Amino acid sequence: MNMTSEQIQARVPVTILRLQGDVDGSNFQQVIDRARELYQAGARHLLVDLAGVPYMSSSGLVALHNIALLFRGSTPPDPQEGWRAIRAMGDASAEGLQPHVKLLNPQPRVVHVLDQTGLTAFFEIHTEQAAAIGSF
Amino acid sequence: MLRVAAEVNNLVTIRRFVREAATALAAPAETIDHLVLAVDESATNIIMHGYRGQAGEIEIEIHRAQDAVVIYLRDQAPPFDPTRLPAPDVTLPLEQRPIGGLGVYLTRQLVDSVTHCLTSQGGNELTLTKKIEAFHPPTTGGTL
Repeated sequence: MNMTSEQIQARVPVTILRLQGDVDGSNFQQVIDRARELYQAGARHLLVDLAGVPYMSSSGLVALHNIALLFRGSTPPDPQEGWRAIRAMGDASAEGLQPHVKLLNPQPRVVHVLDQTGLTAFFEIHTEQAAAIGSF
Repeated sequence: MLRVAAEVNNLVTIRRFVREAATALAAPAETIDHLVLAVDESATNIIMHGYRGQAGEIEIEIHRAQDAVVIYLRDQAPPFDPTRLPAPDVTLPLEQRPIGGLGVYLTRQLVDSVTHCLTSQGGNELTLTKKIEAFHPPTTGGTL
């Protein structure tokens, strides 16, 4: 899997993290680590571009949730902790769409996994980059 | 049949095997997607929560029953029956949630049955069964 990032100046600075390739148990920690680097470098609004991700397992969901909590300023749960992490997702999703991390162009298989776990109620999903950036 | 080292870097090989095998068994496209994800989740659990970093192997066998695709995942990790994990009850206290249950939850959503037994060698055998309403032709049975 490859990752690239860029920053766009809109109403607020928005960082785009583009993922390319499958996200699974072999690389989800790399996604978290890259997002943490961006956060530590000052990024506060993140758009995760999933157009290049044909497949995502629950490990990828845990990564997305972990990143969302990180950008919210919360301490993310241990990503290895399965249900503990998904329970934390449930707690967070009860608050509605969270404002700091949004998704761009997830492919149908990835949307299906998001649906299966109820995370479509947690992440704002956009199909156009300009609209996504303007939404922050 | 596929036999690979129980390493996360082999998940892509496992997914490719399941996709190719289920395609060869004439399963519908959506069913293949579900099977690929279910096996990935199960294999990830075996690697992360079964072997826990120890060396070992995973063996995967896929065959077609009359109206279903049946997938066996075998390993030599310490005995562990994921079907005994609590159902995904969101009212359960956080501290009682078993680690690794997320993959099992998704697997249960994606297939019709998940069963576990111990092998004669003392390892684990997980059986995933997915009923198929309409196989694509040709309709010959088989095992991969």
